[in-house]
Amino acid sequence: MRHQMLCPPAATALRFELEQGESITCEVGAMIAMTSGLTVETTSKSRGGSGGIIKGLKRMFSGESFFLNHFTAQLPDQSLLIGPTLLGDCVHHSMRGGTMIVQGSSWLASTPGIEIDTTWQGFSSALFSGESMFWVKCSGGGELYLSSYGAIHSLEIDGDYTIDTGHIVAFEDTLKFNIGKASRSLIGSFLGGEGLVCKFHGQGKLYYQSHTLPSLGALLGPKLKAK
Amino acid sequence: MGRIAILDRIEHEHEHENRDAEYEKKQHRSESHVLLQRNPAMVMPASRESFQGGVFHASIPGGRSGATLSIARGELIADTISEPSLRFSIPLNQCQIDLGGASNRMVFCRTKEGDLTIFCEEKNFAKELDFQSGGMLAGPLKQLKKGLAADANRFRFWLTLSAVACALLLFVGYFGVLWTAKIAIRALPVSVDEKIGTMAFSGMEMGRKLEANHPASRLVQEIVDKLKPHASIPELKFKVTVVEDKDINAFALPGGQIVVFTGLIKEAKSAEQIAGVLAHEMSHATLRHGIERVSQSLGIVAAIQIMVGDVGGLVALGAQVAQTSILTSYSRAAETEADLEGARMLNAAKIDPKAMADFFEMLKEKMGDLPDAMAWISTHPQHETRVQSIQNHQKKLPVVQYEPLQLDLKAAQDAL
Repeated sequence: MRHQMLCPPAATALRFELEQGESITCEVGAMIAMTSGLTVETTSKSRGGSGGIIKGLKRMFSGESFFLNHFTAQLPDQSLLIGPTLLGDCVHHSMRGGTMIVQGSSWLASTPGIEIDTTWQGFSSALFSGESMFWVKCSGGGELYLSSYGAIHSLEIDGDYTIDTGHIVAFEDTLKFNIGKASRSLIGSFLGGEGLVCKFHGQGKLYYQSHTLPSLGALLGPKLKAK
Repeated sequence: MGRIAILDRIEHEHEHENRDAEYEKKQHRSESHVLLQRNPAMVMPASRESFQGGVFHASIPGGRSGATLSIARGELIADTISEPSLRFSIPLNQCQIDLGGASNRMVFCRTKEGDLTIFCEEKNFAKELDFQSGGMLAGPLKQLKKGLAADANRFRFWLTLSAVACALLLFVGYFGVLWTAKIAIRALPVSVDEKIGTMAFSGMEMGRKLEANHPASRLVQEIVDKLKPHASIPELKFKVTVVEDKDINAFALPGGQIVVFTGLIKEAKSAEQIAGVLAHEMSHATLRHGIERVSQSLGIVAAIQIMVGDVGGLVALGAQVAQTSILTSYSRAAETEADLEGARMLNAAKIDPKAMADFFEMLKEKMGDLPDAMAWISTHPQHETRVQSIQNHQKKLPVVQYEPLQLDLKAAQDAL
């Protein structure tokens, strides 16, 4: 399977070239176009049968949908075009074991070797991280595709690193994050416009987004006229 | 010291032969990640288990890979799952143990130089590591355990705190709503009481209602007219109906609807006794016990209706409650309150409140052979205390010259 990013980072779409028998699991509604030799199977299970209703419900909590779409190439040389709901970037992350913790709704697609589950990151991060209460947990080996509003940048952290709340797209489970103040004083943190931030510690890869949807909403909201 | 295959299981050795050969090749290139030096003096049992974890090392494409971990002969060994598989190991006595990761339960084992890290999140890994190291890692592992325990404690603390806070909030919220509703109900206009009373009255199954010009109806009406000016809510319209029923009973619906059974009129020894019962029932209406009772039995439903301003719904529900439960379910406190307010009204109307007490005395005597009277008596306070409290209360009331009622009870009783 090969992939190609089209028009990054503003209006990214992903193009997959699949060989016969290869399959990929995508977010519901992500498909833009495809060749005729692909079959689509919609279930609440991951490819290979694990999961089911409970996992589907858990996924809904994290901001993903109950169902998953599995695309399988029945003929050689098939292509599939998928894209995220919002304008923004997509990234590819190759997984060789381990776990990636992904912001709710940022998971776009993955190959069958990756298990998709939901995880809880503790009270403080649930309340203050600016992300959803539950996160998508991707584990196993394979190719993982993430999407988000704005451009996605990645970083190899070894030690400490600070990210503003709401900007996290995904991070490896070898990283730990705490919610803290941006500057030493609480008042200063808020006057500086940063408020609370996520402080990462450990070793691992972090993906973060350049823009956030809530900030766009906050900017546009007051300008909208009531119907 | 260049040998790699140190596992005691032959098949495992075989399985890794190719990998080992490749690894040896790599070893020549860079000596940095070869940390297979083991202490010959230390003979440790090989771990029976393997764990799923991972490795960080610069030689792995991408810098990281998942790995199968095992502990053997004093070394922590990691075989990466990436192709081709690489083997890394750290002697346990050189392990720098650290705790972290997203779950804060991941155990990291680092070399002193920090260029190689093997990590695992499995529960038994830390235990096995401790066991295999012969207590060498007891210090850091203990600290780790302590950290985990502290985490668990903190979690338990927050869980308990939030549970308590939730319970408290619910408790305060529930009673707060009820309490607010109680005040709000008091603030509702009396017309709401009247609506409930009228609706409940029209839906009640009762015996034949006597005509308004019937001598018994006229007698009761005259007493009500005499007491009415002394009611604590002047705008309340009292409406009294005599119903054919042999029970010695009378009841008040919210808003001043009063029903007197013919049985009560027949058994009364004087018009004053009937006045006593009527004063008591009128007091239930003026003290708004009916609507209070409605709000109590509807509880949170009434409270919410009041708060959202759905008075119509409250009236409909209230009428239902009034129909089914008003006859027998005023609280004792409400009964005592009605007794005292009734006594005040009687006194103000220049009727001796003693008549009310007399009527209760009579009921008490009747109780033995008149089980029907139970309906009225059962929820009412003990007669002795009742009579006593009326008499005590009478002493506090202004002294007035009582005037006997100029009413013909005999004629009314004969007409029944």
